[in-house]
This record gives sequence, structure tokens and C-alpha cells, in this order.
Amino acid sequence: MEDARTIAAWIMPGREQTAAGEEGFRRLYEATSRPLWGYLQHASGRPDVADDLLQETYCKFLLRKAPAMDEAQTRSYLFRIATNLLHDRYRSRDDAALEEPAECGVETDQEARLDVQAAMRQLKPRERELLWLAYVEGMSHAEIAAATGLGAMSIRILLYRARQKASEFLRPQRMKS
Amino acid sequence: MKRMSCEHETEVIRALHSGEWTEELRRHMANCEDCSQALHLAEALREEASRAEIDCNPPDPHWILQRSRRMAREIALRRMAMLLAAMRALAAVYVVAAAGWLLHGYAELQYREVASTMNGASAGFALMGAMVAAVCVVAGLFPILREGGKSLVLYPSRGKNR
Repeated sequence: MEDARTIAAWIMPGREQTAAGEEGFRRLYEATSRPLWGYLQHASGRPDVADDLLQETYCKFLLRKAPAMDEAQTRSYLFRIATNLLHDRYRSRDDAALEEPAECGVETDQEARLDVQAAMRQLKPRERELLWLAYVEGMSHAEIAAATGLGAMSIRILLYRARQKASEFLRPQRMKS
Repeated sequence: MKRMSCEHETEVIRALHSGEWTEELRRHMANCEDCSQALHLAEALREEASRAEIDCNPPDPHWILQRSRRMAREIALRRMAMLLAAMRALAAVYVVAAAGWLLHGYAELQYREVASTMNGASAGFALMGAMVAAVCVVAGLFPILREGGKSLVLYPSRGKNR
């Protein structure tokens, strides 16, 4: 509750210059940076790209004078900025590099992790984004549409296709377990 | 006809996030292949997300704030540099126009007609006014034109802010 109040205080205009504004931003950052990094990493397939775009997302967020928003809207807005930056990156000359396989950093449950990562790599960037926003972030179709710039009506069918494709690539025994 | 996902899928995912499963939803889950597949995929992705968070080492938020402020300053400076460039261009146009007028228009001025409308005091006053105006204009133009060269050295990477 205290966190929500601090974040809400920060979201008000003229926020970033004060000490309270800094504290609010710190809490907002702590609440959102890890999920955002996970999204960027799995959508791009590259941890280094995720690091880079995470910083850029928050800088753009701070630079834009966005209207007052509640916590959920702020979170959704951050994902929208991140998605736009991802799309810019896809269009840039690093386009091909984004498709390179990602390295795994941690040894825990490595096999299961490789399954999911391998399945994700088989998907198109747009499909990864949709699956992550829907199933990990739990966003509604309208929120996904706002974050990705797609039409709200097309999200359902695109998500369905992406799910079918991902399920095919995941190991059958994992899906049945 | 296009194959669409089950209409309860969103409810299933919401229940997975909140942990609040209704009996009705559980019964539906047992019989719906679509929702079951969505649930398994969502669980796999959420597990992956939890593992990925261990790898995540985000930079200090203070550093992000500093960087954004630096970027804001750079953007403001670039905007000012553009404004100054526009002023310099206008100043240059003014100098050329004034020089042209001094060389041609001023020489063709009908002094007698102008002089006939003035007495000695008003002519002196007009001359003084013209001189003051000229000094002010030159004083204003000089730093703008001179700083033009410096700002090109200070902001050579205009437009490369990323």
C-alpha cells in the first residue's frame, strides 16, 4: 500500500526533480524492472539487448511528460515503450543479430529451461511478445493491443496461433506433465 | 472458418495469476483442451520468467535518473542550438539586406526632399537615432554570428542522441 502511494505520488507531474520523486521512481523501478527485463530478454532472445533496452525504456519514460496514470497504466505504458524500442531494434541493422540463440546463465532446472527457450526461439518476435504479455504478465487482450500497437480484435487469433506453435515446439512430455 | 481459442482462456490465465479458481472454472478446465494447453504453456513461461529474474541485474535507478536528466539537458541544448542557428540565419540575411540598402538604396535617397521636412535639430536627432539603432543592431548581431562557429564545435553530433 505504501509502495502504491509512493509510486502514485511519483507519477504526478513535476515528479522527478524532488527527493520524494526519486524515491517513488526507485520503487516503481524495483517493482517493474525485472518483469520488463524478462520480457525484453525473451522477446529479443538476447540478454545484452534486454539490458540496453531496459535502460532506454526508463529514460524514455522519464523524458516523456506522460499524463497522470495509475500503477497498472504506468506498467502498461512501460511495456508499450519497451515494445516500441524492440520493434525499432528489429528494424535496425541489428535485426539479424536478435535471432541468435541466447545463452543460458543459470544451471537450475537447465533442461526445462532449454525447452522453453528453444521453443521461444522458434517463434517470431511478435509471437514471443504476445505469449509473454498474455501468459507471464497476465495482460488482457486490450492491454496487449495497447502495448503492441496491434488491433484488439486480432489479438485473440494471433495469440491462439502463437500458442499452438509454441506448444508444438515444447517437448510433448513437458506439456503432458 | 478461423479456429479461435476458448472464450474462457483469459479467465483461466487470470485465475493462474491470482490463484483464485472457481469450481466452474475447474470443471471447464478438465474438459477444455484449449484452456488446458494455455494453462500448461503459461505455467512453463512463468517458470521461465522466475528463472530469468535470477539472471536479471538491473542498473541502479539513480543512475537511470542521472542518465535521463543528462539526456533531457542534451535535448534542450539541441533545441536551443537549432533556435540559435535560425537566429544566425536571419541575422545573416539582415546583414546582407542592410548592406545592399546602404550601397544602393541609401545612395538614391532624395536628401533634399528629406532635408526640406527637417530643421537642424530634428535632423541631428534623426541622425543620432539612426546611429544608436545601427550600434544596437551590430552589437546584437556580432555575438550571434560569432557564437555560431563555437556551437558547431560544442554540438557536432547533433541528431545522434541514441
